[in-house]
Amino acid sequence: MSDPQTAADMNVRKSRDGVSWVWIVPIVALIVSLSVAWQNYSQRGTLIDIIFQNASGVRAGETVLRFRDVEVGTVEKVSFDAGLTDVIVSVRVDNEVAPYLDDDAQFWVVQPDVSLRGVTGLETVLSGVFIEGTWDRDPEFAQTEFFGLDGAPLTTLDQLGTAVTLRTRDGSALSKGAPILHRGIRVGTLETPRLSANGESVIVEGFVDFPYDRILTTSTRFWDTSGFSLSLGAGGVELDVNSIASLIEGGVAFDTVVSGGDRVSQGYVYDIFTDEDAARNSVFVNPNSQTVEIAVLFDDSVSGLTKGSEVRFQGIRIGQVADLSAIINESGGPADVQLRAILSLETGRIGMDPDTTQEEALQFLADYVENGLRARLSTASLLSGSLIVELVEDDAAVPATLDLAALPYPTLPTTEDAIADVAETAEDILARIERLPVEELLQGAIDLMASIERLANDDSVRDVPAELASLLQETRALVASEDVQGIPPDVRDAIGDFDSLIQSFVAAQLAEQLNEALNATSLAASNIAEGTKNLPEISAEIESFLSSVNELELATLVAEATSTLDAIDALVSSDATQSLPASFDSALVDARGVLAAAQSFMASEDLQALPSDLRTTVNDLNVILAQIQSSELILKLDDAIASAASAATSIETASADLPAITSELRGLAEKANALELEELVNEATQTLASIDALLGADGMDALPENLNQSLAELRGLLTDLREGGAIQSLNAALASANSAAQAVEDATIDLPALIERANALVLESQEVVDSYSMRSRFGAEALTTLQEIQDAADAISALARAIQRNPSSLIRGR
Amino acid sequence: MGSTRLSESLTTAREAGLVACRRCGQVDVITAAQCQRCGSPLQSRDDSSLQRVWAWLIAGMIVYIPANLYPMLLTRTLGHTSESTIVGGVIELIELGSYSVALIVFVASVVIPIGKFVAIIYLAVSVQRRSVLNMHQRHRLYEVIEFIGRWSMIDVFVVAILSALVQLDTIATINPGIAAVSFALSVIFTMLAAQSFDPRLIWDASRKAR
Repeated sequence: MSDPQTAADMNVRKSRDGVSWVWIVPIVALIVSLSVAWQNYSQRGTLIDIIFQNASGVRAGETVLRFRDVEVGTVEKVSFDAGLTDVIVSVRVDNEVAPYLDDDAQFWVVQPDVSLRGVTGLETVLSGVFIEGTWDRDPEFAQTEFFGLDGAPLTTLDQLGTAVTLRTRDGSALSKGAPILHRGIRVGTLETPRLSANGESVIVEGFVDFPYDRILTTSTRFWDTSGFSLSLGAGGVELDVNSIASLIEGGVAFDTVVSGGDRVSQGYVYDIFTDEDAARNSVFVNPNSQTVEIAVLFDDSVSGLTKGSEVRFQGIRIGQVADLSAIINESGGPADVQLRAILSLETGRIGMDPDTTQEEALQFLADYVENGLRARLSTASLLSGSLIVELVEDDAAVPATLDLAALPYPTLPTTEDAIADVAETAEDILARIERLPVEELLQGAIDLMASIERLANDDSVRDVPAELASLLQETRALVASEDVQGIPPDVRDAIGDFDSLIQSFVAAQLAEQLNEALNATSLAASNIAEGTKNLPEISAEIESFLSSVNELELATLVAEATSTLDAIDALVSSDATQSLPASFDSALVDARGVLAAAQSFMASEDLQALPSDLRTTVNDLNVILAQIQSSELILKLDDAIASAASAATSIETASADLPAITSELRGLAEKANALELEELVNEATQTLASIDALLGADGMDALPENLNQSLAELRGLLTDLREGGAIQSLNAALASANSAAQAVEDATIDLPALIERANALVLESQEVVDSYSMRSRFGAEALTTLQEIQDAADAISALARAIQRNPSSLIRGR
Repeated sequence: MGSTRLSESLTTAREAGLVACRRCGQVDVITAAQCQRCGSPLQSRDDSSLQRVWAWLIAGMIVYIPANLYPMLLTRTLGHTSESTIVGGVIELIELGSYSVALIVFVASVVIPIGKFVAIIYLAVSVQRRSVLNMHQRHRLYEVIEFIGRWSMIDVFVVAILSALVQLDTIATINPGIAAVSFALSVIFTMLAAQSFDPRLIWDASRKAR
């Protein structure tokens, strides 16, 4: 029993007696586990605490921290601080970014945000919120406790640009994220507006992006662009609306109006002006110029005077109203309320050195006050009724001094206000019109009529018809004189000779040639008639011309007419004008004298001889006409007249457009009716003003007197005319005319002889023609010539027709 | 003492100069090095058994620590990432009201592994002390441990199946965590520890004590 046991024991011992290799397994497992644990521990990052007012959506273990949209950490714990006032979010941050987390690091919770500028943080709707952080590139003193922001900052720290501080009195139009515009382009963003420490102004940080921040200089001005502005002025209604976004969100714009400003540093403080005009105007007012404050007390209403109203001295802006308030003045008698305006005067604008101290400036003003410097309210604009403060020198003012020691400011004495009122001015004009001597004018007119009546009743005027009758009688006698009567037979003889000459031409078939030539002419005339069918086009042009006339500004015309009428009215009303009738009266007397002279001239015999000469001439012409009538030429003329008639028809067609023209005219009339009343009223207003000025002018009174003088001179001239040699000169001229007529008459006496000689000449030529007419070469040649003339006429006719059919051939040359 | 008496009345193979193959049950003379039937090495007593048990057990216990500390599952649903450890998952299931599933997971992932550690330690210590108490119960305990060890892998299988099935990109993704590997290793190591244990050593104590 023991043997096998011993053997078995020995067998067992022999098998293996050492440390088993299996022990490697737990050792390896341990090493691996420990190394993994160590690695985890060493790489687990730095724990930082971010303190938030509330941490909505932040969950431990899930919410991540991102930097430039890359995960750099995870929230490990969300807890409260000791007083439960804040939420402490503990974030395990990667070790590689931990050194950068210094005091400029910013953290905020990114949540979905929908605003006018767009939707941000949309990805967090599904994934849940995350914490975004930003910090600069310089690792400074790393820290582990931070205060989180309520929302995303509008600019990240590494963004290029310039941060500016904007100051305004009213922050209602500004909101976080509102744009900063430059020439309508968004170049920056506003942060949340906040009240300044003393609560007097609103401060808002703005950030202007690179490269637009280079525009910013000390001369840059910012103004409010939010909302819209409506202004009513002489130029009409002006509505200024910016973008819809700025309408709702507000916004500011800036511009650098003048060059020469210095570059600004980060955080430079600008003021926001209420509008662009104010901003631009302010550039010319050096904001850094030395000012001196002075108070002015007004007893009356200062409505229309506002903070910022101008202070002028002799028309030049020297400052502005800095403040307006009511104070109780108890000095001297019962207490009364006065209105105190604080004026801020720029010493540089009064002409003092920029280095002038306040005391020096006040001393200067004090000296000036003793010399009569006073403040008064003055109207800046008639329409808006806004007021300005004007500093004037009033020599007649009650002596006063400037109390330099007065608090809070020295008080400048005032003088009577110079507030103009539109209503008052209009009233003045009406009063002046009322004062016009209308009744005297009527009296003058009555006088004038009476004098005319007197003139008409004058005997000498009544004698005029009788004198005319005798003048006619004398003319008749002249015509009936024998010499005149003797002319026609001689002329008739001459014409008879011509007649026979023409007869011979007829015999020589010249007439037919002429006839055909005339036919051709007639054709040409008819072509012309057809040509005149273009008249409608011409009419159309006339029409357009009329319509352009139509567009003429009648309003101005009316206005001028109105003003002219008013001027006439004024003229008529003047006293001197009323003396005009008397002047006319005397002028009429003079005219009467001239008439009498003329009458005596008429009665002269020379003149009576003239008609008889004329008579003979007329008779001659009559005979010539009869001759022409008897010839066939009349028929040709008929054709020509027919052509003229067709031309007339064309014209008639053209005149069919007349109704259109008439309607244009009517349109013109309507347009005239529909004239812009506003303009007219404006013109009328101006006219009233100018009339007022005219009536007020001293020269106007002198005008009628001048007119009177002119009339007196005219009267003198007429007197000269009557008394001087003018009539005699005329008489002499008429006499020489008469002698000329006499010479003509003498010549006429020679005319029969001349005609006889002509007659003989014609007879001779008739004989010559007769001799040539029979197969003579001359006749044939004349015939050929006439034929050629006819051909030429035909060719012209054909050409005219061709041109009529195809006008372009004229241009093309075919 | 009945068992002692019972063992006293028995004659062991070793006393009889025999050795049994642990794989096929073939009995051979004690000097035989290899089984005549299946060729596996024959050893009457495995004296390095306890060393190996301890080694595997310690390794299994070491990797069981990260298996509980690190997440078993990485679930990403619509950008939300949630990590759940074994115990965390069980608590979550309880909160959701799935008590039965929670119980299964708890038993399979916590009770059984820890129970195995304790049982193997008890067996190894009792063998080293040559304890003669409860030898039958200890043998039964060993058999239970060997049988039940594989069921601990149920958690690992669940993770493996889920990871394979739920891969829907952004909507839902499930990935195994470090704990899954650790847990699997832990189960494997404890199974190896249980296999390394030579139950015959339990009975040798009664012989030596006599």
